Amino acid sequence: MKRRFNILGISALSLMFTITMDVSAEGLSHEQVADMLYLVISADRAVYTQKVVQRLTEEEKVITASEYFDDDAALPLPAQMFRFGSEYVSDLTEEFSYSLVSLDPINKKNGPVTDLEREGLEFVADNPEENFYGEEKLGGLWYFAAVYADIAVAEACASCHNNHQDSPRSDIEVGDVMGGVVIRIPID
Amino acid sequence: MSKNFILISSWFLATLIAIVIVGVWMTVGGSRQLLLVGQTTDAHHQIEVACETCHKAPIFSGPAVAVKAMNKACRTCHEDELAKSDDSHPRKKFRNPRMAQFWDKLDARLCTTCHTEHRPEITRESAVTVATNFCIACHSEGDQDVRLIRTSHADLSFDTCASSGCHNYHDNRVLYSDFLVKHAQTDWLTQKPVHELTRQARLTYKSEEERLMHHDAQAPSAALFNPAILRDWADSAHAINAINCTSCHAPAIANGSDSAGVETVWEDKPSQKICADCHKFEQNTFRKGRHGMRQHPKIANPRDIDGKLNSYGLAHITPSFIKEWFSDPAVPMYMTVAEARLPMRSEAADLSVGCGSCHDPHSVNVAYAAVDACLTCHDDMHSEAYRKSPHYTLWLAEVAGEASLGTGVSCATCHMAKVERRGNLVTDHNQNDILRPNEKMIRPVCLDCHGLKFALDSLADDELIKRNFRGRADVHVESIEWALLREREKQDD
Repeated sequence: MKRRFNILGISALSLMFTITMDVSAEGLSHEQVADMLYLVISADRAVYTQKVVQRLTEEEKVITASEYFDDDAALPLPAQMFRFGSEYVSDLTEEFSYSLVSLDPINKKNGPVTDLEREGLEFVADNPEENFYGEEKLGGLWYFAAVYADIAVAEACASCHNNHQDSPRSDIEVGDVMGGVVIRIPID
Repeated sequence: MSKNFILISSWFLATLIAIVIVGVWMTVGGSRQLLLVGQTTDAHHQIEVACETCHKAPIFSGPAVAVKAMNKACRTCHEDELAKSDDSHPRKKFRNPRMAQFWDKLDARLCTTCHTEHRPEITRESAVTVATNFCIACHSEGDQDVRLIRTSHADLSFDTCASSGCHNYHDNRVLYSDFLVKHAQTDWLTQKPVHELTRQARLTYKSEEERLMHHDAQAPSAALFNPAILRDWADSAHAINAINCTSCHAPAIANGSDSAGVETVWEDKPSQKICADCHKFEQNTFRKGRHGMRQHPKIANPRDIDGKLNSYGLAHITPSFIKEWFSDPAVPMYMTVAEARLPMRSEAADLSVGCGSCHDPHSVNVAYAAVDACLTCHDDMHSEAYRKSPHYTLWLAEVAGEASLGTGVSCATCHMAKVERRGNLVTDHNQNDILRPNEKMIRPVCLDCHGLKFALDSLADDELIKRNFRGRADVHVESIEWALLREREKQDD
């Protein structure tokens, strides 16, 4: 089962590499590449949230989802699943990276760490229908960066953020912007 | 010819010869221990003759390439251990460019940032060479300032973060807040102090079903006339589990691939490979621990001197003594007790560490392997104090059949824990899996019998550890109180 997951994961990553390398070589802009990556990332996340977590925990009630999923024999939270994917990619490539950040993070390390992140998060909070694009220099390299609004797509998202002891907010409702997805692609 | 000219010429010639010799050692072959820039860390000293195990980049590579290759080598051997520890600071977390602000402060993408080899003057336990207050690099400013986000931490200095019972850089499986809170109210001793996996393993060991008896022994007639060996085997777990003499001494007979007489294929002293045929997990973990790391499959082989000479067209004209001189020494298969850096018994100095060192091949007496074998060699204060400890009293009672299975605490209970793997109970022979930092021991061992608070305090008290836990801890770790305080503060908010 684990092997199957790895094969699927690697196939998905290969597809992402193909997008970032081959497609951009054909003339797509960094913005278009980032948008395509975002579609894949957000689709996986929405499917996991709705078809796995929401269904099994809220509808069928056969398992819980927990931050301490190992100890609790539970499902990882959607945000954790997102981060595992992000770290998996970071382990394999420097061709692109993605992160889930917020102006009101539960874990402080997921707050904005660059001016562009802060500006982008504020922009998408005010304009959830729009994306934010920019460039920034990190670690001596220039990156194209795109920020997309991260919206509470299910009741589970809102309730978890509202009830977590480290959350600075307790008034999130489904449809609200909770933060943003930041995608970075190094510029030559 | 002036005296000065002769002196200068001799000096020049000697220097030239030295440069050539060192050059050949570096690029072709030969022992390079003379070139070590500083003592190798504990454990790594066992494999230091195989430089390429860590120094993987080709010679004359640039620093960036060399460092990258060296760090890859670290991960090659230690990656599994880090994954098991649910690493709190995995490299992959820091490769994301949003972490670039931290790279200059403490580059967590590289193992060598905190673990620098050949620097004995700054090396602490677990081969750590970074300053004790290293957490300050990332957790002292802005939203990450722990002194602001944890009221209990307001007056703490950063050189106390990585204290026992508080935080570890990698393994925090028993130190995170939620776990501390969940186990806050536990008593010092559980209601049923039994190490459950050990109990189950000993239960299996006691099984009498389908066992072999003396008269079932398959061996050449000469071997059958050794009553002591025969008795040992007939009483052993091997006989109980239907492992006949031929299984180890003549496997071709045992597995039916050879129908010749047992005498023709009989081996008096089978190699360690025979043990590994059945005990794969034990062998794999043995090779990752300090006892057996010289057999780790990732240790670099000696450089191919013949191949190099061939490529230079010099193979056929190079005298054999030169080849021998410029051949890399191979890492010996076994470590001797004398090579250990921990205090060891002088009379054990010549012993080496293989399967048979602790497990008598015929009696396979695990009770001996769990205590007596360890104390044959180890001579530190903790080992020395074991036979005066309450754990040993419990062990004696269990071995004598006066106490329930799993209630005794041997050296192996804590240092070579039983683990469940694919439905089988096996013994982890990599001591470090549950040893350093010592909080690693809490989940798989201590908590079966003791409360978390008691375990944290005990493992933080160096003097109590030296006394092998005779008495109570004089140290108190406040982690649990602080985690509870934080819970209350959040609820009040």
